[in-house]
Amino acid sequence: MNSLRFAFLSAVLLPGWIGVAHAEITPEQRKYFETKIRPVLAKECYECHSAGAKKVGGKLLLDTTAGLKRGGESGSPMVPGKPEDSLLVHALKWLDDLEMPPENPLPANVIADFEKWIAMGAPVPPDVEQAVVKGGVTEPKKYKPGELWSFQPVKDPPVPESKSEWARSAIDQFAFRKMAEKNLEPASDAPPKTLVRRLYFDLIGLPPTFAESNAFVADYGKRGQAAVAALVDELLASPHFGERWGRHWLDVARYAESNGNDGLSRNASFPNAWRYRDYVIDALNRDVPYDRFIAEQIAGDLLEAETDQERDRQLVATGFLALGAKPAKAMNNNFEMDIVADQIEVVTSGIIGLSVGCARCHDHKFDPIPTRDYYAMAGFFTSSETLYGIAANEKLTAPPTPLHVLKTPPKVPAPPEALKLMEETEKLEMRNYPRPKEEHTYPPGTPVAMGVRDRKEPADCKINLKGDAQKPGEVVPRGVLTAYPDKTLGELTIDPSGSGRRELAKWLTDKKHPQTSRVMVNRIWLHLFGKAIVGTPDDFGVYGEKPTHPELLDHLAARFSGDHDWSIKSMIHEIVLSRTYQLDSHASPESIAADPENIWVSRHTRRRLDAESIRDAILKVTGNLNPEPADGSPIRHLDILVNRAPDLHQPSNHRSIYLCFMRNSPPRELAAFDLPDGLTVTGKRDETMLPTQGLFLLNSPFIKNQADYLARSSGDNVREMWRRVLNREPSQTELAGARYLLENTEPEERAWPVLAQALLATNEFRYVD
Amino acid sequence: MLSTASCGFGSLALAGLIGRSAEGAGSPSLAARTPVIPARAKRVLFLCMSGGPAQMDTFDHKPQTGKAPHPGSAYRFFQHGESGLKISELLPETAKHADKLCVLNGMYCDTGIHAQSFLQLHTGDRLRARPSLGAWVNYGLGTENQSLPGFISLNSSKPSCHGSAFLPAIYQGTPIGVNGEDMSKATIPNVMSDHLTPESKRRQLDFIQSMNREHHARSGDDPKLEAVIQSMELGFRMQTTAPGLLDLSQEPKHVLERYRVGAKYAVGTCRESDFGRQCLLARRFLEAGVRFVEVNHGSWDQHKNHRRDLEANCLATDAPIAALLQDLEERGMLEDTLVIWGGEFGRPGITPGEKDKDMTGHNSNGFTFWLAGGGVKPGFTYGATDPTGARAVDGKIHFRDLHATILHLLGIPPNDLTYRYAGRDHRLTGPEGGRVVTDIIA
Repeated sequence: MNSLRFAFLSAVLLPGWIGVAHAEITPEQRKYFETKIRPVLAKECYECHSAGAKKVGGKLLLDTTAGLKRGGESGSPMVPGKPEDSLLVHALKWLDDLEMPPENPLPANVIADFEKWIAMGAPVPPDVEQAVVKGGVTEPKKYKPGELWSFQPVKDPPVPESKSEWARSAIDQFAFRKMAEKNLEPASDAPPKTLVRRLYFDLIGLPPTFAESNAFVADYGKRGQAAVAALVDELLASPHFGERWGRHWLDVARYAESNGNDGLSRNASFPNAWRYRDYVIDALNRDVPYDRFIAEQIAGDLLEAETDQERDRQLVATGFLALGAKPAKAMNNNFEMDIVADQIEVVTSGIIGLSVGCARCHDHKFDPIPTRDYYAMAGFFTSSETLYGIAANEKLTAPPTPLHVLKTPPKVPAPPEALKLMEETEKLEMRNYPRPKEEHTYPPGTPVAMGVRDRKEPADCKINLKGDAQKPGEVVPRGVLTAYPDKTLGELTIDPSGSGRRELAKWLTDKKHPQTSRVMVNRIWLHLFGKAIVGTPDDFGVYGEKPTHPELLDHLAARFSGDHDWSIKSMIHEIVLSRTYQLDSHASPESIAADPENIWVSRHTRRRLDAESIRDAILKVTGNLNPEPADGSPIRHLDILVNRAPDLHQPSNHRSIYLCFMRNSPPRELAAFDLPDGLTVTGKRDETMLPTQGLFLLNSPFIKNQADYLARSSGDNVREMWRRVLNREPSQTELAGARYLLENTEPEERAWPVLAQALLATNEFRYVD
Repeated sequence: MLSTASCGFGSLALAGLIGRSAEGAGSPSLAARTPVIPARAKRVLFLCMSGGPAQMDTFDHKPQTGKAPHPGSAYRFFQHGESGLKISELLPETAKHADKLCVLNGMYCDTGIHAQSFLQLHTGDRLRARPSLGAWVNYGLGTENQSLPGFISLNSSKPSCHGSAFLPAIYQGTPIGVNGEDMSKATIPNVMSDHLTPESKRRQLDFIQSMNREHHARSGDDPKLEAVIQSMELGFRMQTTAPGLLDLSQEPKHVLERYRVGAKYAVGTCRESDFGRQCLLARRFLEAGVRFVEVNHGSWDQHKNHRRDLEANCLATDAPIAALLQDLEERGMLEDTLVIWGGEFGRPGITPGEKDKDMTGHNSNGFTFWLAGGGVKPGFTYGATDPTGARAVDGKIHFRDLHATILHLLGIPPNDLTYRYAGRDHRLTGPEGGRVVTDIIA
């Protein structure tokens, strides 16, 4: 081993090209280099060792004659004629600390080619320049800053003018042009009965009553679009709006009330996470402008507040950054950086639709995101303290932290049952940890919230080589992604005395930011159409889908951040009043065959209700819904390991958003219908059709219970049941069917509930046209 | 030629699906179909090892060569059985079945990105939602027990890996336990209820379905609504069979022990998956006629603490897999059950001499799968990586070739089983098509 080390030193100290620097290269040698050596250098090494590399590894350039001869900071990589002494060969064979290429070692035959080349004197043609790669090896296309569509500034494209009478708004003009290009006719307008149900579910997540449905149909007959506008205003003003759209945002915010499995099978509760949920609902209801909404969640603790209430609200908003699932601290040297990774991911994927996570370990392979940018952003979060609490006093999961103490909410001390439950669960666990320290506990009942705050000594972050916090590299000044074309966004100046989160928020919500507005209008469109313009709402990068209607997307984005001043409600208002939104879901078989996925929105997409809407609609039609917001959460006093505690879910007839959303322990009444897992940003939920969903509707205690209510509240009246559940009168055939079912059910006393349950289990109830 | 009973649900020849557009070709159905080429396997068991198992420390023996240490096997390998197959000391129980295994050491795929490669392994495509292997197999062959899903995925990670995408939803995998659910308890929820007599239940469902069919007809024949009708019907039928199959209380104690049911092995990346219970449930589902069963264990993604976590992963899976192989053989089922073991890629391996270095990354250029039963050569090794295990150099098999070979063994011409969607014919093996690896077929 000693002799080997010595050989290294020589390689580093001796000028490597003595004797061959000016040697002529024979045609054979040139051919050898061009076919055996250069293609490999290009494919395996240029990513880090070429002029085009984001960051040149070890100052070593392998793409030019000069670079090859000069070597890098470790000296010349080749000792001509002596492959066994050459650093390059050692690196390729992974013999020492330097292992190249870092991910996968090269095949032995390729390494042998290099040894042979060095043995012949490592001849390099005098004119090697980068880029031209012969021998059929091509690099994967790597996007340069500004090349990728989503990095281009939002244009406000001129609205197409079609001669057709069909279009009612700019949105319609954009949509119609695409339909025309694809030879598709728009479907007919949805009948008012369809439209009213669609609007109710889309805007507030609840069905209209029979009377509300009829009233709209009558009004529509009289006033047409004025009736629609009036209804839309009413629904947007309803407190249920925030419960519907707040849930959409909670999916993005990977919201959950427990940590989820930390990898050591511990799932610590987050007893205060619900305050963030309530903040989101409230913000949506008050139509807090989207730029402000984002700023509060990223830097609410740093924003001015005029009242204590305002201050509390903004502190709670920063829960956005603290709610993530954390891998156990035990035996994890990267714990702090794992939290930062979650924060970067929720900010980038959630707000600007870019997955930056890959750059934690290496420059992004395809998106224009180098590792430097990742650690520039990491600096915002390493300069901030994440406040998540005591993690069930489970030190293996996470070291305890303080929380934000709120001034305005009432003090609610834990009831004795909660304290007893905690104690018993800990006993069961046979843990003997000391109680949390004073600095991490608060007088009983103190209102506290998860969130972030600035560290006393903010600092820039060091690159973690290969994503390992134990291998710190150079320091990167705090900053944001660099891939934007010049002058898109202004220079970011960060006040060194703070974390820089306020500046980050400002950058994200700059009206000129090419992604923020596009990403959000795309999310809004998705929830209204069941189909997004960019099919991957959380990924606007190279691997994401391209927009189907790029100009429409830009039009909406420009409107959103411009005329609508980031108002989500105004944006929704504009979209649902378009003729495109109001199309029928029925269409000709030809147009369905021509566009089975309804990419070109020539009809409305029929959708299954999501999990929450199914449950909420059931509660509403059975007359059993408590329309008031729930107060807190069943686990608000339980700092506990969820997986070791007894069942923590409590029966509730509040709306589903208020159920206890713990990771790895979702509410049973919702779990069958594709809930997000709360681990990552989920802009778009799955829509599966599993037999287990049928079983839920046929056998679950929830549905049986609600069927009892429905039977009772309908007064054992078939017509009333139809009106409540389906907003219509039963047909003659259905009446006959119902009668048969009522007369033939055993046990007899279950007859009416069985009919009620059957109606709740129909597709007509569960699907929206 | 193998023919299967149709169970009275209307038999549809697979031939009807081959070589022509299947979209709208009659109602999608789980009824068992007759393979069009001689089938060697009737059913599939996929032992999915997520995270990328380290091939050089399990089945691909790489001793040190030459003077300089290089990545290779960090554990001892021994030869086993008459075949003399070399298997790592970490898998002593599986090793007892060496003569059943057909080890493929020349596997490779397109990417070292977990999610994408995992999706490609399951669906053939690494980016878009496409039908998974189990869904294609059910589409091709239907299933033998009409009261159970034809595709069951235990401890599944996400719907895209057991989904049917554009294939009718009836071919979708039914998951038991998702997202790290406690696998010692995971079950099919709501599968039992005695609030009504069976006759009344049936009448209730008939009423629901007549409403649904009306609605379907009014809604312009939306295939999605048809799929929901079918899936509800299947859910209903599951009430008669699934509860018994999920109940392990009648299994003798020695069986539970052999499978290590209830054992806990959470160490580092190795997560508790009650793999023994999964394997025993899998055996019971296969016996009951389920066409495609997938079990999952992870994560084999031991970047750090390679040795510790790898040992735990091996310990957690070794005995259950051995028990399963033994039971399948004893029941005479191994000959027509194709068992598949592997993950989304492999690992570059550690260099054994470097005691303090315990880190590995991902390797999509060369790794190992093994197959057993179902018409593959037993006690056989096929393909090879270079001396450092970095790259498949011989007998290379891409995922699409593996997929093609699986379909072929099931009696399905792999590149001809297509489904027309959005204007073109799609197939599991993708535009390139897959190559049947005939060298490994017995």
